[in-house]
Amino acid sequence: MNKISGAGSQPAAASQAALLLTCLFSLTGTMHADDARQIVAESQRRGRADSQRYEGSLEVFGANNKVSKKHWQSDRLGSYGASKAIIRFTEPAEVKGVALLVVNHPDRSSDQWMWTPAIGRDRRIAQQDRSTRFFGTDFSFEDLEERDVDQFDFSMQGEESIDGAPCWRIESKPKQGKSSQYTSSRVWIRKDNYVPVQYENYVKDKLVRRLVERDIQNVQGIWTARQLEMTDLGRKSRTILKLENVRYNVPMKDDDFTVQALRRQM
Amino acid sequence: MKRRFLGAGCWVLGLSAALFAQSFSQRGFLETDFIGYPQTVPNDSGQEIGEALFRYEAFYKLNSDWQFAGGIDARADTHEQVDRAWELSWDDRERRRPSFEVRQLNATYAKKKLTVVLGKQFIRWGKADILNPTDRFAPQDYLSVVDSEFLAITAARATYGGQSNTIDLVWVPLFTPSRIPLLDQRWSNVPAGIALGELPPSFPGGSQFGARWNHIGSVAEYSLSFYDGHNNLPLFNFQETRPLAVEIERYYPQMRMYGGDAAIPLKGVTVKAEAAYFTSTTKTEDEYALYVVQLERQAGEWFFIGGYAGQVVTEHRSIFDFAPDRGLTSAFLGRAGYTIDTNRSVALETALRQNGKGEWAKLEYSQALGAHWRATAALTLIRGDESDFLGQYRRNSHAMLALRYSF
Repeated sequence: MNKISGAGSQPAAASQAALLLTCLFSLTGTMHADDARQIVAESQRRGRADSQRYEGSLEVFGANNKVSKKHWQSDRLGSYGASKAIIRFTEPAEVKGVALLVVNHPDRSSDQWMWTPAIGRDRRIAQQDRSTRFFGTDFSFEDLEERDVDQFDFSMQGEESIDGAPCWRIESKPKQGKSSQYTSSRVWIRKDNYVPVQYENYVKDKLVRRLVERDIQNVQGIWTARQLEMTDLGRKSRTILKLENVRYNVPMKDDDFTVQALRRQM
Repeated sequence: MKRRFLGAGCWVLGLSAALFAQSFSQRGFLETDFIGYPQTVPNDSGQEIGEALFRYEAFYKLNSDWQFAGGIDARADTHEQVDRAWELSWDDRERRRPSFEVRQLNATYAKKKLTVVLGKQFIRWGKADILNPTDRFAPQDYLSVVDSEFLAITAARATYGGQSNTIDLVWVPLFTPSRIPLLDQRWSNVPAGIALGELPPSFPGGSQFGARWNHIGSVAEYSLSFYDGHNNLPLFNFQETRPLAVEIERYYPQMRMYGGDAAIPLKGVTVKAEAAYFTSTTKTEDEYALYVVQLERQAGEWFFIGGYAGQVVTEHRSIFDFAPDRGLTSAFLGRAGYTIDTNRSVALETALRQNGKGEWAKLEYSQALGAHWRATAALTLIRGDESDFLGQYRRNSHAMLALRYSF
């Protein structure tokens, strides 16, 4: 089954692709360019890995341009739809140890739990709370999840160049009965290598978040965006996430991606 | 009873120098607080308190199966709520807060679906946010009743299961009591003219045991729990040694708990419920049920939690007790917060007794100052009747300023 990171062409997909870092690919595909769903599926297929680990360096620029810096470590087991991920903050000192577990499902939205060591409690992030910003960044909780490609309808919106590279512009909408904070999303996928380079996420007709992926490098055969910039247009704030020490196919255990494991400090 | 574990403390502090960064992490902070009370009380004329707390915690992952955690607290204050003796405490049985305390020191073994934690550790049960009737392995420091802090316990804990179902077994060989207000200070609320003394407390021997089954489903989470041991909150014996002079003795009644909790995300809100029924073989302890029902929601930069806590006493036996958990029942409980920006937030917590005889509210503003510093200002308002658990502290409304450096 083909699966898509996030909502395919939507913020979830975008940021998820960003955060979980799996969506960048080489140039060997042979498919019909006008088949939006296939393009998204192929884009994701090329980013598959058994696991992924990276250290994230975040800079949050508030509306007044004040900068707040954070660091986290991300571990992900599996790819697309059925994957599991733990993001654990390592800086600043006062949030060190705060962690988020994301358990993705192919047929529905993910389950998420947040661990706060200062109070020694884990808390499930309810579906209706997923539009909330994730710990002061411009990524929402929903942006951190993956969803199966079958949860969305895709349509080709045309072609457009991003930074001089020809791209397909594809729109995705959640299928009926599938919940999302976003009414629709648009993704720009490069024609030459099937790498998604920009996402725009809409609530009704209003653009609310934009994700731009830059500094694309080949890491262990997987094209990987090393810098992701998420802009919250409502708050007029943005977060730049830089991925460092990216590694794929690191040995990981399924038992390390449970609520029980989330409570461990490292 | 004080025990010195200087060797353990040195182990904690020395750990960082010896280990590699990728399997070792540490964190901590130094915080100084100033607390001002506008009113005096009959047994405490002090109106300004200064406190300082240094906390250091270290974590070392030996391999994929073994992990170790250690932490230490060092405290000082101006109001003698902190013991002046420079001794390292392990069991938290001191009347005052110890100047040096092993906050945690434990080893974790995790293999497949089994996790075992041995040593001094924090164990939290329950799903509600303001009051947790099933949280039986979490004694608290109630020296300042409304600003309590959890205490670690010495325990062996084994958890078995995957993501959907887990069984949690806890065995506690050493009883850790909650720390109650000092008799010569404002939170004990001793009437004027009465000389109160304390006899050595009677700590229970034997061990405590608990078991909890937790299920995580696609629609809801729920659990069932059982506890057999002693209440960490005391009852009191009184002896009148001369007119208007009384000696009190703390003792800790046997307790058995049958409890459950659930969290159910609905379309607009998450409903959380938690309830427990308590029985006791101690003839002076009540038998009763505590329950909490709450709704919570996050929306944008806001979060809201609101609910009701109640109790049903099936057999009333106790005369003199100290029970903040029951004191917060028959009350509407609420918490709301707003994140102003990445560095600033404001929060409000409140408890309103159903009969209107007691009210507690705390408004807090917090601001990060750069990467390491945080300043917090809080106002706590307490109102009510003398006869009410909250109302009895009506002269203890206060303001607090705190400055923390985290590393």
